[in-house]
Amino acid sequence: MIGMARERRLAEIFVEVADSLVDDFDVIDLLQRLSTRCVELLDVSAAGILLADAHGELQIIAASDEHTRLLELFALQHDQGPCVECYRTGRPRTNIDLTRPETTVAWPRFAVRARETGYVATHAIPLRLRSRVVGALNLFQTEAHRLGDDDIALARALADVATIAILQQRTLEQSHVENSQLETALSNRILIEQVKGVLAERWETSVDDAFAAFRSYARSRHLRLSEFATQIISGGFDTTEIPPPAAAADRSGDHRG
Amino acid sequence: MSEVLRRLHLDGPGDPAPAWARVLGAEGVALTLLVGAEQTPEPLWCHPGLSARFEELQFTLGEGPGPEAVRTGWPVLEPDLDRVRPERWPALIPAATKLGVQGVCCFPLGIGAIRVGVLTVLCAREPRMGAQQYADAGALAAALTGALLGGDLRRDGDGSLLGVPEPPSELHRPAVHQATGMISVQLGVSMQEALLRLRAHAYGSERPLGEVAQDVVARRLRFRDDRTGDFTDDFDDDGSGPNSPDGRKG
Repeated sequence: MIGMARERRLAEIFVEVADSLVDDFDVIDLLQRLSTRCVELLDVSAAGILLADAHGELQIIAASDEHTRLLELFALQHDQGPCVECYRTGRPRTNIDLTRPETTVAWPRFAVRARETGYVATHAIPLRLRSRVVGALNLFQTEAHRLGDDDIALARALADVATIAILQQRTLEQSHVENSQLETALSNRILIEQVKGVLAERWETSVDDAFAAFRSYARSRHLRLSEFATQIISGGFDTTEIPPPAAAADRSGDHRG
Repeated sequence: MSEVLRRLHLDGPGDPAPAWARVLGAEGVALTLLVGAEQTPEPLWCHPGLSARFEELQFTLGEGPGPEAVRTGWPVLEPDLDRVRPERWPALIPAATKLGVQGVCCFPLGIGAIRVGVLTVLCAREPRMGAQQYADAGALAAALTGALLGGDLRRDGDGSLLGVPEPPSELHRPAVHQATGMISVQLGVSMQEALLRLRAHAYGSERPLGEVAQDVVARRLRFRDDRTGDFTDDFDDDGSGPNSPDGRKG
Protein backbone atom coordinates (compact mmCIF):
# COMPACT_ATOMS: atom_id res chain seq x y z
CA MET A 1 0.00 0.00 0.00
CA ILE A 2 1.37 3.38 -0.94
CA GLY A 3 -0.22 6.07 1.17
CA MET A 4 -0.49 9.66 -0.03
CA ALA A 5 2.26 10.83 2.28
CA ARG A 6 4.60 8.21 0.96
CA GLU A 7 3.73 8.97 -2.63
CA ARG A 8 4.51 12.63 -2.04
CA ARG A 9 7.77 11.71 -0.34
CA LEU A 10 8.67 9.51 -3.30
CA ALA A 11 8.04 12.34 -5.74
CA GLU A 12 10.28 14.59 -3.62
CA ILE A 13 13.04 12.00 -3.72
CA PHE A 14 12.92 11.74 -7.50
CA VAL A 15 13.11 15.52 -7.76
CA GLU A 16 16.04 15.55 -5.34
CA VAL A 17 17.87 12.93 -7.41
CA ALA A 18 17.07 14.64 -10.69
CA ASP A 19 18.45 17.90 -9.28
CA SER A 20 21.65 16.15 -8.27
CA LEU A 21 22.10 14.55 -11.67
CA VAL A 22 22.29 17.84 -13.52
CA ASP A 23 24.95 19.16 -11.15
CA ASP A 24 28.48 17.91 -10.82
CA PHE A 25 27.55 15.55 -8.04
CA ASP A 26 29.30 13.15 -5.72
CA VAL A 27 28.04 9.67 -6.50
CA ILE A 28 28.79 8.19 -3.09
CA ASP A 29 27.01 10.99 -1.31
CA LEU A 30 23.99 10.64 -3.60
CA LEU A 31 23.84 6.87 -3.19
CA GLN A 32 24.07 7.28 0.55
CA ARG A 33 21.13 9.65 0.54
CA LEU A 34 19.25 7.20 -1.64
CA SER A 35 19.97 4.37 0.81
CA THR A 36 18.65 6.51 3.64
CA ARG A 37 15.50 7.18 1.62
CA CYS A 38 15.01 3.44 1.08
CA VAL A 39 15.03 2.94 4.84
CA GLU A 40 12.54 5.73 5.31
CA LEU A 41 10.12 4.80 2.51
CA LEU A 42 10.15 1.04 2.91
CA ASP A 43 10.23 1.12 6.69
CA VAL A 44 13.28 -1.14 6.90
CA SER A 45 16.24 -0.88 9.28
CA ALA A 46 19.16 -0.63 6.90
CA ALA A 47 19.86 -0.44 3.19
CA GLY A 48 23.00 -0.84 1.14
CA ILE A 49 23.92 -0.63 -2.52
CA LEU A 50 26.41 -3.17 -3.88
CA LEU A 51 28.14 -3.10 -7.25
CA ALA A 52 29.89 -5.89 -9.10
CA ASP A 53 33.58 -5.21 -9.71
CA ALA A 54 35.67 -6.28 -12.70
CA HIS A 55 35.97 -9.75 -11.17
CA GLY A 56 32.20 -10.11 -10.83
CA GLU A 57 32.37 -9.83 -7.04
CA LEU A 58 29.91 -7.60 -5.23
CA GLN A 59 31.31 -4.68 -3.26
CA ILE A 60 29.51 -2.17 -1.08
CA ILE A 61 29.36 1.33 -2.54
CA ALA A 62 26.99 3.08 -0.13
CA ALA A 63 24.86 2.32 2.89
CA SER A 64 22.13 3.99 4.91
CA ASP A 65 24.49 4.14 7.85
CA GLU A 66 28.21 3.63 7.98
CA HIS A 67 28.50 1.46 11.02
CA THR A 68 31.36 -0.92 10.60
CA ARG A 69 29.24 -3.92 11.57
CA LEU A 70 26.81 -3.19 8.79
CA LEU A 71 29.60 -2.55 6.26
CA GLU A 72 31.19 -5.87 7.14
CA LEU A 73 27.86 -7.59 6.57
CA PHE A 74 27.77 -6.19 3.06
CA ALA A 75 31.44 -7.03 2.56
CA LEU A 76 30.73 -10.67 3.39
CA GLN A 77 28.56 -10.83 0.29
CA HIS A 78 31.44 -10.85 -2.15
CA ASP A 79 30.91 -14.60 -2.41
CA GLN A 80 27.74 -15.54 -0.55
CA GLY A 81 24.37 -14.18 0.46
CA PRO A 82 21.09 -13.08 -1.10
CA CYS A 83 22.74 -10.33 -3.16
CA VAL A 84 25.03 -12.82 -4.85
CA GLU A 85 22.01 -14.92 -5.84
CA CYS A 86 20.13 -11.87 -6.97
CA TYR A 87 23.12 -10.73 -9.02
CA ARG A 88 23.57 -14.13 -10.65
CA THR A 89 19.92 -14.77 -11.47
CA GLY A 90 18.87 -11.17 -12.11
CA ARG A 91 15.77 -11.73 -9.98
CA PRO A 92 14.83 -10.13 -6.66
CA ARG A 93 15.14 -12.26 -3.55
CA THR A 94 12.63 -10.83 -1.12
CA ASN A 95 11.23 -11.52 2.34
CA ILE A 96 14.01 -13.88 3.36
CA ASP A 97 13.46 -15.02 6.93
CA LEU A 98 16.88 -15.00 8.57
CA THR A 99 15.61 -16.74 11.69
CA ARG A 100 14.89 -19.99 9.85
CA PRO A 101 18.13 -21.94 9.36
CA GLU A 102 16.74 -23.83 6.35
CA THR A 103 16.28 -20.62 4.35
CA THR A 104 19.87 -19.56 4.85
CA VAL A 105 21.67 -22.86 4.57
CA ALA A 106 23.45 -21.71 1.42
CA TRP A 107 25.02 -18.68 3.15
CA PRO A 108 26.12 -19.78 6.63
CA ARG A 109 28.60 -16.98 7.39
CA PHE A 110 26.29 -14.29 6.11
CA ALA A 111 23.26 -15.57 8.04
CA VAL A 112 25.11 -15.91 11.34
CA ARG A 113 26.56 -12.42 11.03
CA ALA A 114 23.22 -10.90 10.03
CA ARG A 115 21.47 -12.48 13.03
CA GLU A 116 24.24 -11.35 15.37
CA THR A 117 23.75 -7.81 14.12
CA GLY A 118 20.07 -8.11 15.03
CA TYR A 119 18.44 -8.59 11.64
CA VAL A 120 15.54 -11.01 11.17
CA ALA A 121 14.72 -10.47 7.50
CA THR A 122 16.53 -9.35 4.35
CA HIS A 123 15.77 -8.54 0.70
CA ALA A 124 17.92 -8.21 -2.41
CA ILE A 125 16.81 -6.25 -5.47
CA PRO A 126 18.85 -6.27 -8.70
CA LEU A 127 20.47 -3.11 -10.07
CA ARG A 128 19.80 -3.44 -13.78
CA LEU A 129 21.43 -1.83 -16.74
CA ARG A 130 19.32 -2.82 -19.74
CA SER A 131 19.71 -6.60 -19.96
CA ARG A 132 22.64 -6.72 -17.54
CA VAL A 133 22.66 -6.85 -13.77
CA VAL A 134 25.41 -4.63 -12.34
CA GLY A 135 24.73 -4.94 -8.62
CA ALA A 136 22.06 -5.20 -5.94
CA LEU A 137 20.12 -3.17 -3.42
CA ASN A 138 20.16 -4.94 -0.06
CA LEU A 139 17.59 -4.27 2.67
CA PHE A 140 17.59 -5.46 6.28
CA GLN A 141 14.87 -5.51 8.91
CA THR A 142 15.19 -5.87 12.67
CA GLU A 143 11.44 -6.46 12.91
CA ALA A 144 9.77 -8.72 10.41
CA HIS A 145 7.00 -7.28 8.34
CA ARG A 146 6.44 -8.56 4.84
CA LEU A 147 7.23 -6.26 1.96
CA GLY A 148 4.33 -6.42 -0.50
CA ASP A 149 4.40 -6.14 -4.28
CA ASP A 150 4.06 -2.35 -4.12
CA ASP A 151 7.02 -2.12 -1.76
CA ILE A 152 9.11 -4.31 -4.05
CA ALA A 153 8.13 -2.21 -7.08
CA LEU A 154 9.20 0.87 -5.16
CA ALA A 155 12.49 -0.74 -4.18
CA ARG A 156 13.09 -1.60 -7.84
CA ALA A 157 12.45 1.99 -8.85
CA LEU A 158 14.97 3.19 -6.26
CA ALA A 159 17.46 0.60 -7.50
CA ASP A 160 17.04 1.89 -11.06
CA VAL A 161 17.64 5.44 -9.89
CA ALA A 162 20.83 4.28 -8.20
CA THR A 163 22.03 2.70 -11.46
CA ILE A 164 21.32 5.88 -13.38
CA ALA A 165 23.18 7.94 -10.80
CA ILE A 166 26.27 5.75 -11.05
CA LEU A 167 26.34 5.91 -14.84
CA GLN A 168 25.56 9.60 -15.03
CA GLN A 169 28.53 10.87 -13.12
CA ARG A 170 31.16 12.72 -15.03
CA THR A 171 29.71 12.26 -18.50
CA LEU A 172 29.93 15.98 -19.03
CA GLU A 173 33.18 16.06 -20.92
CA GLN A 174 34.54 12.59 -21.22
CA SER A 175 33.01 9.59 -22.90
CA HIS A 176 33.59 7.03 -20.18
CA VAL A 177 32.13 3.65 -20.74
CA GLU A 178 29.88 1.96 -18.29
CA ASN A 179 32.25 -0.61 -16.83
CA SER A 180 34.80 2.05 -16.02
CA GLN A 181 32.11 4.07 -14.27
CA LEU A 182 31.28 1.14 -12.03
CA GLU A 183 34.90 0.41 -11.24
CA THR A 184 35.69 4.03 -10.47
CA ALA A 185 32.67 4.36 -8.22
CA LEU A 186 34.04 1.44 -6.21
CA SER A 187 37.47 3.01 -6.06
CA ASN A 188 35.93 6.21 -4.67
CA ARG A 189 34.26 4.12 -2.03
CA ILE A 190 37.65 2.79 -0.93
CA LEU A 191 38.93 6.35 -0.72
CA ILE A 192 36.21 7.07 1.84
CA GLU A 193 37.32 4.11 3.95
CA GLN A 194 40.94 5.29 3.80
CA VAL A 195 40.04 8.79 4.95
CA LYS A 196 37.97 7.38 7.80
CA GLY A 197 41.12 5.64 9.03
CA VAL A 198 43.24 8.77 8.70
CA LEU A 199 40.78 10.89 10.67
CA ALA A 200 40.06 8.23 13.28
CA GLU A 201 43.78 7.99 13.97
CA ARG A 202 44.29 11.77 14.15
CA TRP A 203 41.33 12.26 16.45
CA GLU A 204 41.76 9.01 18.35
CA THR A 205 38.15 8.18 17.76
CA SER A 206 36.23 5.35 16.12
CA VAL A 207 36.07 5.17 12.33
CA ASP A 208 32.30 5.54 12.52
CA ASP A 209 32.50 8.77 14.50
CA ALA A 210 35.28 10.04 12.26
CA PHE A 211 33.14 9.53 9.21
CA ALA A 212 30.14 11.31 10.74
CA ALA A 213 32.28 14.39 11.44
CA PHE A 214 33.89 14.23 7.99
CA ARG A 215 30.56 13.98 6.20
CA SER A 216 28.81 16.68 8.15
CA TYR A 217 31.70 19.07 7.50
CA ALA A 218 31.70 18.20 3.78
CA ARG A 219 27.95 18.65 3.50
CA SER A 220 27.87 21.93 5.35
CA ARG A 221 30.39 23.30 2.84
CA HIS A 222 29.04 21.50 -0.24
CA LEU A 223 32.27 19.61 -0.80
CA ARG A 224 32.26 16.42 -2.81
CA LEU A 225 33.14 13.56 -0.48
CA SER A 226 35.68 11.90 -2.75
CA GLU A 227 37.47 15.14 -3.65
CA PHE A 228 37.54 16.25 -0.04
CA ALA A 229 38.90 12.83 0.96
CA THR A 230 41.64 13.11 -1.68
CA GLN A 231 42.62 16.54 -0.37
CA ILE A 232 42.86 15.30 3.20
CA ILE A 233 44.92 12.25 2.25
CA SER A 234 47.32 14.27 0.12
CA GLY A 235 47.84 16.69 3.00
CA GLY A 236 46.25 19.54 1.06
CA PHE A 237 43.72 20.28 3.77
CA ASP A 238 44.32 21.14 7.41
CA THR A 239 42.04 18.70 9.24
CA THR A 240 42.11 20.76 12.43
CA GLU A 241 39.55 22.89 10.57
CA ILE A 242 37.01 20.10 10.98
CA PRO A 243 35.27 19.96 14.35
CA PRO A 244 36.28 16.54 15.69
CA PRO A 245 33.56 14.21 16.97
CA ALA A 246 32.58 14.64 20.61
CA ALA A 247 33.79 11.13 21.32
CA ALA A 248 37.33 12.25 20.55
CA ALA A 249 37.43 14.25 23.75
CA ASP A 250 36.14 11.37 25.81
CA ARG A 251 37.63 8.39 24.10
CA SER A 252 36.15 5.12 25.19
CA GLY A 253 37.98 1.82 24.93
CA ASP A 254 36.01 -0.24 22.49
CA HIS A 255 35.76 0.85 18.89
CA ARG A 256 34.56 -2.38 17.45
CA GLY A 257 31.22 -0.83 16.60
CA MET B 1 41.25 -12.80 -22.37
CA SER B 2 40.72 -15.17 -19.46
CA GLU B 3 43.86 -17.00 -20.57
CA VAL B 4 45.83 -13.76 -20.47
CA LEU B 5 44.52 -12.95 -17.00
CA ARG B 6 45.24 -16.44 -15.74
CA ARG B 7 48.83 -16.21 -16.92
CA LEU B 8 49.36 -12.77 -15.47
CA HIS B 9 52.57 -13.07 -13.51
CA LEU B 10 54.43 -9.85 -13.07
CA ASP B 11 57.60 -11.58 -12.05
CA GLY B 12 57.47 -14.18 -14.80
CA PRO B 13 59.86 -14.23 -17.72
CA GLY B 14 59.22 -12.29 -20.91
CA ASP B 15 57.21 -9.28 -21.92
CA PRO B 16 53.44 -9.80 -21.76
CA ALA B 17 52.57 -6.59 -23.65
CA PRO B 18 52.47 -8.18 -27.15
CA ALA B 19 49.95 -10.76 -25.91
CA TRP B 20 47.83 -8.03 -24.30
CA ALA B 21 47.84 -6.01 -27.51
CA ARG B 22 46.84 -9.05 -29.53
CA VAL B 23 44.00 -10.06 -27.20
CA LEU B 24 42.68 -6.51 -26.96
CA GLY B 25 42.98 -6.02 -30.72
CA ALA B 26 44.89 -2.82 -29.91
CA GLU B 27 47.48 -0.87 -31.89
CA GLY B 28 49.62 -0.78 -28.78
CA VAL B 29 49.65 -1.38 -25.04
CA ALA B 30 51.82 0.15 -22.32
CA LEU B 31 52.06 -0.41 -18.61
CA THR B 32 53.65 2.50 -16.76
CA LEU B 33 54.33 2.27 -13.02
CA LEU B 34 54.48 5.18 -10.60
CA VAL B 35 57.65 4.76 -8.61
CA GLY B 36 58.73 6.14 -5.26
CA ALA B 37 57.47 9.03 -3.17
CA GLU B 38 57.50 11.34 -6.16
CA GLN B 39 55.35 8.89 -8.13
CA THR B 40 57.73 9.10 -11.07
CA PRO B 41 56.29 7.41 -14.15
CA GLU B 42 58.42 4.48 -15.29
CA PRO B 43 57.30 2.55 -18.37
CA LEU B 44 57.58 -1.15 -17.56
CA TRP B 45 56.21 -2.82 -20.67
CA CYS B 46 55.35 -1.25 -24.01
CA HIS B 47 54.43 -2.86 -27.29
CA PRO B 48 55.13 -1.96 -30.02
CA GLY B 49 57.65 0.90 -30.26
CA LEU B 50 54.81 3.33 -30.98
CA SER B 51 53.46 2.75 -27.47
CA ALA B 52 56.86 3.39 -25.93
CA ARG B 53 57.19 6.67 -27.85
CA PHE B 54 53.69 7.76 -26.88
CA GLU B 55 54.34 7.04 -23.18
CA GLU B 56 57.55 9.04 -23.31
CA LEU B 57 55.79 11.88 -25.07
CA GLN B 58 52.94 12.30 -22.61
CA PHE B 59 55.01 11.94 -19.47
CA THR B 60 57.68 14.29 -20.83
CA LEU B 61 55.05 16.87 -21.69
CA GLY B 62 53.18 16.16 -18.46
CA GLU B 63 49.86 16.20 -20.24
CA GLY B 64 47.61 13.69 -21.93
CA PRO B 65 45.21 10.93 -21.01
CA GLY B 66 47.83 9.07 -18.94
CA PRO B 67 48.75 11.94 -16.59
CA GLU B 68 45.07 12.86 -16.42
CA ALA B 69 44.05 9.33 -15.45
CA VAL B 70 46.76 9.28 -12.78
CA ARG B 71 45.69 12.67 -11.40
CA THR B 72 41.95 12.03 -11.29
CA GLY B 73 41.83 8.28 -10.73
CA TRP B 74 39.35 8.09 -13.60
CA PRO B 75 39.75 6.19 -16.84
CA VAL B 76 40.24 8.56 -19.75
CA LEU B 77 38.82 7.13 -22.94
CA GLU B 78 39.44 9.03 -26.16
CA PRO B 79 39.23 6.49 -28.99
CA ASP B 80 39.40 9.29 -31.56
CA LEU B 81 41.97 12.03 -30.87
CA ASP B 82 40.51 14.13 -33.71
CA ARG B 83 37.44 14.65 -31.59
CA VAL B 84 39.31 15.94 -28.53
CA ARG B 85 39.26 19.71 -28.01
CA PRO B 86 42.80 20.84 -28.96
CA GLU B 87 43.16 23.04 -25.85
CA ARG B 88 42.73 20.02 -23.58
CA TRP B 89 46.23 18.73 -24.39
CA PRO B 90 47.67 21.47 -26.63
CA ALA B 91 51.20 20.08 -26.91
CA LEU B 92 50.39 16.41 -26.92
CA ILE B 93 47.71 16.15 -29.58
CA PRO B 94 49.75 17.46 -32.55
CA ALA B 95 52.78 15.42 -31.49
CA ALA B 96 50.74 12.25 -31.01
CA THR B 97 49.00 12.69 -34.35
CA LYS B 98 52.39 13.07 -35.97
CA LEU B 99 53.47 9.77 -34.40
CA GLY B 100 50.41 8.14 -35.93
CA VAL B 101 48.41 7.67 -32.75
CA GLN B 102 44.69 7.74 -33.56
CA GLY B 103 42.97 6.97 -30.28
CA VAL B 104 43.97 6.39 -26.65
CA CYS B 105 42.34 4.80 -23.62
CA CYS B 106 44.04 5.07 -20.24
CA PHE B 107 43.05 3.11 -17.16
CA PRO B 108 44.50 4.16 -13.80
CA LEU B 109 45.77 1.33 -11.63
CA GLY B 110 45.09 1.73 -7.94
CA ILE B 111 42.46 1.76 -5.25
CA GLY B 112 41.16 4.75 -3.38
CA ALA B 113 43.96 7.26 -2.94
CA ILE B 114 46.59 4.72 -3.97
CA ARG B 115 47.95 4.97 -7.52
CA VAL B 116 50.41 2.38 -8.72
CA GLY B 117 50.40 2.96 -12.44
CA VAL B 118 48.42 3.39 -15.62
CA LEU B 119 47.52 1.06 -18.46
CA THR B 120 47.48 2.79 -21.84
CA VAL B 121 45.79 1.22 -24.83
CA LEU B 122 46.32 2.75 -28.28
CA CYS B 123 43.47 2.07 -30.65
CA ALA B 124 42.74 2.59 -34.31
CA ARG B 125 40.03 5.01 -35.36
CA GLU B 126 38.49 2.23 -37.46
CA PRO B 127 37.32 -0.28 -36.53
CA ARG B 128 36.21 1.39 -33.32
CA MET B 129 36.86 -0.29 -30.01
CA GLY B 130 33.84 -2.37 -29.02
CA ALA B 131 32.19 -2.84 -25.66
CA GLN B 132 33.97 -6.17 -25.19
CA GLN B 133 37.37 -4.58 -25.76
CA TYR B 134 36.65 -1.87 -23.20
CA ALA B 135 35.47 -4.50 -20.75
CA ASP B 136 38.60 -6.60 -21.39
CA ALA B 137 40.92 -3.63 -20.97
CA GLY B 138 39.13 -2.73 -17.73
CA ALA B 139 39.48 -6.31 -16.50
CA LEU B 140 43.18 -6.29 -17.35
CA ALA B 141 43.62 -3.00 -15.45
CA ALA B 142 41.80 -4.45 -12.43
CA ALA B 143 43.91 -7.61 -12.54
CA LEU B 144 47.11 -5.59 -12.81
CA THR B 145 46.05 -3.45 -9.85
CA GLY B 146 45.42 -6.59 -7.85
CA ALA B 147 48.75 -8.02 -8.89
CA LEU B 148 50.67 -4.85 -8.08
CA LEU B 149 49.01 -4.30 -4.72
CA GLY B 150 48.00 -7.73 -3.59
CA GLY B 151 49.07 -11.24 -4.05
CA ASP B 152 51.41 -13.05 -1.79
CA LEU B 153 54.41 -10.94 -1.08
CA ARG B 154 57.58 -12.16 -2.63
CA ARG B 155 60.93 -10.60 -3.12
CA ASP B 156 62.69 -10.68 -6.42
CA GLY B 157 66.45 -10.55 -6.98
CA ASP B 158 67.01 -6.92 -6.01
CA GLY B 159 64.77 -7.08 -2.96
CA SER B 160 61.75 -5.22 -4.26
CA LEU B 161 58.35 -6.64 -3.46
CA LEU B 162 56.34 -8.12 -6.26
CA GLY B 163 52.93 -9.65 -6.25
CA VAL B 164 51.12 -12.42 -8.02
CA PRO B 165 47.35 -12.26 -8.53
CA GLU B 166 44.96 -13.65 -5.99
CA PRO B 167 41.21 -13.27 -5.57
CA PRO B 168 40.91 -9.62 -4.55
CA SER B 169 38.16 -10.14 -2.00
CA GLU B 170 40.34 -9.45 1.01
CA LEU B 171 41.32 -6.11 -0.49
CA HIS B 172 37.69 -5.07 -0.63
CA ARG B 173 36.91 -5.28 3.05
CA PRO B 174 36.24 -1.85 4.51
CA ALA B 175 38.43 -2.59 7.53
CA VAL B 176 41.48 -3.11 5.29
CA HIS B 177 41.24 0.42 3.93
CA GLN B 178 40.32 1.97 7.28
CA ALA B 179 43.36 0.27 8.79
CA THR B 180 45.50 1.50 5.89
CA GLY B 181 44.44 5.07 6.64
CA MET B 182 45.23 4.63 10.33
CA ILE B 183 48.64 3.09 9.68
CA SER B 184 49.54 5.87 7.25
CA VAL B 185 49.09 8.34 10.14
CA GLN B 186 50.79 6.08 12.70
CA LEU B 187 53.88 5.72 10.53
CA GLY B 188 53.70 8.98 8.62
CA VAL B 189 53.86 7.14 5.30
CA SER B 190 51.87 7.10 2.07
CA MET B 191 48.66 5.09 1.75
CA GLN B 192 50.45 2.70 -0.56
CA GLU B 193 53.26 2.02 1.87
CA ALA B 194 50.75 1.70 4.73
CA LEU B 195 48.88 -0.99 2.81
CA LEU B 196 52.14 -2.76 2.09
CA ARG B 197 53.11 -2.67 5.78
CA LEU B 198 49.69 -4.05 6.71
CA ARG B 199 50.05 -6.84 4.15
CA ALA B 200 53.57 -7.59 5.27
CA HIS B 201 52.42 -7.88 8.86
CA ALA B 202 49.58 -10.23 7.89
CA TYR B 203 52.00 -12.29 5.82
CA GLY B 204 54.60 -12.36 8.57
CA SER B 205 52.11 -13.38 11.25
CA GLU B 206 50.37 -15.84 8.88
CA ARG B 207 46.96 -14.33 9.50
CA PRO B 208 44.29 -13.18 7.01
CA LEU B 209 44.65 -9.58 5.97
CA GLY B 210 41.08 -8.71 7.01
CA GLU B 211 41.61 -10.06 10.50
CA VAL B 212 44.79 -8.06 11.07
CA ALA B 213 43.04 -4.98 9.68
CA GLN B 214 40.23 -5.38 12.19
CA ASP B 215 42.77 -5.51 15.00
CA VAL B 216 44.18 -2.21 13.79
CA VAL B 217 40.74 -0.59 13.55
CA ALA B 218 39.78 -1.86 17.02
CA ARG B 219 43.16 -0.57 18.28
CA ARG B 220 44.36 -3.95 19.39
CA LEU B 221 47.33 -3.52 17.08
CA ARG B 222 49.35 -0.42 16.39
CA PHE B 223 52.20 0.22 13.97
CA ARG B 224 55.14 2.22 15.27
CA ASP B 225 57.56 4.30 13.35
CA ASP B 226 60.70 2.27 13.55
CA ARG B 227 63.32 2.61 10.86
CA THR B 228 64.73 -0.81 11.53
CA GLY B 229 61.75 -2.59 10.10
CA ASP B 230 58.17 -3.58 10.57
CA PHE B 231 57.66 -3.10 14.26
CA THR B 232 54.24 -3.23 15.81
CA ASP B 233 52.72 -3.03 19.23
CA ASP B 234 50.47 -5.98 19.70
CA PHE B 235 47.94 -5.43 22.44
CA ASP B 236 46.75 -9.00 22.58
CA ASP B 237 47.34 -10.63 25.90
CA ASP B 238 48.70 -13.82 24.44
CA GLY B 239 52.26 -12.76 25.04
CA SER B 240 53.23 -13.12 21.41
CA GLY B 241 53.70 -9.44 20.77
CA PRO B 242 55.98 -6.86 22.28
CA ASN B 243 54.68 -4.84 25.18
CA SER B 244 53.16 -1.48 24.61
CA PRO B 245 55.73 1.05 25.71
CA ASP B 246 53.56 4.12 25.27
CA GLY B 247 50.69 2.83 27.37
CA ARG B 248 48.11 3.42 24.69
CA LYS B 249 46.22 0.27 25.51
CA GLY B 250 42.64 1.03 24.56
